[in-house]
Amino acid sequence: MTTPKGYMGKIMMVDLTTGAIETEKISPKVYQSFLSGMGLAAHILYHRIPAGADPLGQENILGFVSGLLTGTGSLFTGRWMVTGLSPLTGGWGEANCGGSFSPAIKRCGVDGIFFKGISEKPVYLCVDDQGARLETAEAVWGKDAVEAETALIEKHPNARVACIGQAGEKRSLISGVSTDKGRLAARSGLGAVMGSKNLKALVLAGKKRIRVHNREEMKRLSKICNKWVQFQPPFVPGWLTAPVGALMRILPFVATQDGLLYKIMLRKWGTVSMNQISVEMGDSPIKNWMGSSADWGFFKSFSSQPDRFTRQETEKFHCYSCPLGCGGICKTKGRFPETHKPEYETVLSFGGFIMNKDVDLIFYLNELLNRAGMDTISAGHAVAFAMECYEKGIITTGHTGGRALEWGDPDDIKFLVEAMVARDGIGDLLADGVKRAAESIGPEAEAIALHCAGQEPAMHDSRNDPGFALHYSVDPAPGRHTNGAGLYYEMYQLWKKVKGVPKMGPAYMKSSKYKKDIHHARVGKANSVYLNVMNGAGACLFGGFIGATRIRIFDWLNGATGWQFTPEDYMEIGANIQVLKQAFNIKQGLDPKTCRVPDRLLGRPVQTRGANKGRTVDVETMMKDYWELFGWDRETGRPTEETVNRIASIA
Amino acid sequence: MAYTISNECIGCMACAKICPTNAVTGEKKQIHAIDPAACIECGACGRVCPSRAVLDHFGLAFERIPKKEWDCPQFDLKTCMSCTICLDTCPVSAISQALLLKGNPHLFPVLADEALCIGCGFCAGDCPADAVTMVPRNRESRTEETEKA
Ligand code: SF4
Ligand code: SF4
Ligand code: SF4
Repeated sequence: MTTPKGYMGKIMMVDLTTGAIETEKISPKVYQSFLSGMGLAAHILYHRIPAGADPLGQENILGFVSGLLTGTGSLFTGRWMVTGLSPLTGGWGEANCGGSFSPAIKRCGVDGIFFKGISEKPVYLCVDDQGARLETAEAVWGKDAVEAETALIEKHPNARVACIGQAGEKRSLISGVSTDKGRLAARSGLGAVMGSKNLKALVLAGKKRIRVHNREEMKRLSKICNKWVQFQPPFVPGWLTAPVGALMRILPFVATQDGLLYKIMLRKWGTVSMNQISVEMGDSPIKNWMGSSADWGFFKSFSSQPDRFTRQETEKFHCYSCPLGCGGICKTKGRFPETHKPEYETVLSFGGFIMNKDVDLIFYLNELLNRAGMDTISAGHAVAFAMECYEKGIITTGHTGGRALEWGDPDDIKFLVEAMVARDGIGDLLADGVKRAAESIGPEAEAIALHCAGQEPAMHDSRNDPGFALHYSVDPAPGRHTNGAGLYYEMYQLWKKVKGVPKMGPAYMKSSKYKKDIHHARVGKANSVYLNVMNGAGACLFGGFIGATRIRIFDWLNGATGWQFTPEDYMEIGANIQVLKQAFNIKQGLDPKTCRVPDRLLGRPVQTRGANKGRTVDVETMMKDYWELFGWDRETGRPTEETVNRIASIA
Repeated sequence: MAYTISNECIGCMACAKICPTNAVTGEKKQIHAIDPAACIECGACGRVCPSRAVLDHFGLAFERIPKKEWDCPQFDLKTCMSCTICLDTCPVSAISQALLLKGNPHLFPVLADEALCIGCGFCAGDCPADAVTMVPRNRESRTEETEKA
């Protein structure tokens, strides 16, 4: 057999019940059909998790995968992903994270590490020169993610660690997996799966070389990419971002976004660059999706203006193979000395979304939740849910132990989040997300619990960009903003590289964004398919945003592996991966129609003021069109049996 | 395609001691062997072997080179993009990061302790920006040049 290039050609399967650890060869055909990363994971999990498995039981399989392009000399390709049957949605679960963990998986000689069964006692997996083994995690169980990582690295110098905090241990359904001291693969509740398996951490210290077909070609393409990243003209000061957003709200036309502009902002500030722009242009939901930009004006959002964050930043943080460095390490006041620079999602979830102006509190909650390993998007929703329920008399001081809950009150927010981490009182209820909380509170709470099949949507308003409504609804792991949007498609500039995808001109009328037509579904399909290719490659979304001719994913894939696939071939691969994930959900009994975003996010009832005034989104039609474009049943969202069999039989 | 050890081996254990992946096994004064699954072809064993016993994958013997003459990396901070690929690729974790350029918040690679480096050149080979050159160690100018940049 020829040595695999780019990918490692093997996976590791750990049975936590028996303690057996096996390495399995995976055929080149599988990589050629699904790539590595999320595609490989979809292939493994679709076949091996039986229908009706309990997400927190023996049969669920938790997979940690690296990207095909990770470690090949390509850029923006250091993402790793965790996958499994999601306890939050009951379907396909995935979360994606950067940092330095992705190459560590491949340096153990495998593309993915999968866990089945349940360990009797807390353990962690250690892989190093001595091989792979399970070790007792008694000493780190109960510790938060930062403490645990620090202790494990002390014991295994130079290792890379992925671990859960208290939230995962306590099986909070909105918990994730942490690496690099608080960077979270947050979504789909996979931290709870790890906790249910009594698996505290992965400690990886392998040193395997990652082989590449044509390293010079990889470097050539990387230099092209880097040239665009280093292009950094001066941009407006932080306080001027809000007026930019307001202008975007007012103008009747839109310049098709070139992601280079966002790249410049990311390099300067990170994702917090969007804080005020998003509010002003109507992209950021306010007050549990009830409010609008009119309720959270410039002065209220000012405390989160981007310069505020870079002022506290002591150094930039680059994920592996990233020339941009949107992350950062920030000094904080109070209990924790430092924290990863809060991300846009966190700042907004704990900002306008719950009417909070106290940014010091956000820094604190960011670190608290990173350490606990709890998803800040879902946690923000849980707080907003509690506040709205209290306002409407659905929960009372009886639930809260005597405390009145008030929108934006720093003490109340702190109280709720700390209670969620500790699973104490009302916090115990909220720590499993808004769907579970509403189910136990009663039917009146259900209209306030905003989720897609159990997963809370992110801080991007589907009334402003209907693409979010579509992707929140149709993605096999619904509710996530990283799945796609109209705006993302503009930035990918895919039409410059791929035949047969919708083309976009330099500008368009804003009203066309809200027109009912098949264009949305076409764009949606291309988004999903391209994202699958990126997730198979381990590529960063923000890298993708700088445009397909500048970040040459398809060419890198050929350069790394020696394949000679066309961009259209890769898009076909991406479409097949989507089928596998959809089939996974159907096998688990999740009805695609029930994943639809809740009415409030669609402008039902319609907003009477603010940026999204008067807008409603006909997501039902978009979903049907999208399914039909994939060749699936228009009414049910099911791929045909023949399609599933064709793709599932690849081995 | 790992390296191998020939009959010339005198069992001095120098290679086993330096191998970063513990790929070399063998008793003292016995012929040593390299585990092909663990070898990463860094060549460190060949550079320390006193009896030209280590063969590369073409079967060619390595010359011993005194450690003080080994090359080690020099980073061109003007071209470096702080991507951390070199940190990750180094089999002995000899490279760390620091704030090296005034007013620049990005961390840059440094070889804080030359003695850790085994001179494999992986960092230079893997750097996509070609910002790393291998230069003789103990060269006074090495650090100076880095600082100047
Ligand atoms: S080449 Fe490097 S990894 Fe291989 S045996 Fe020699 S020292 Fe060890
Ligand atoms: S690999 Fe090259 S560009 Fe990346 S950090 Fe190292 S020296 Fe800099
Ligand atoms: S040459 Fe570079 S990669 Fe090799 S040991 Fe030295 S610093 Fe590490």
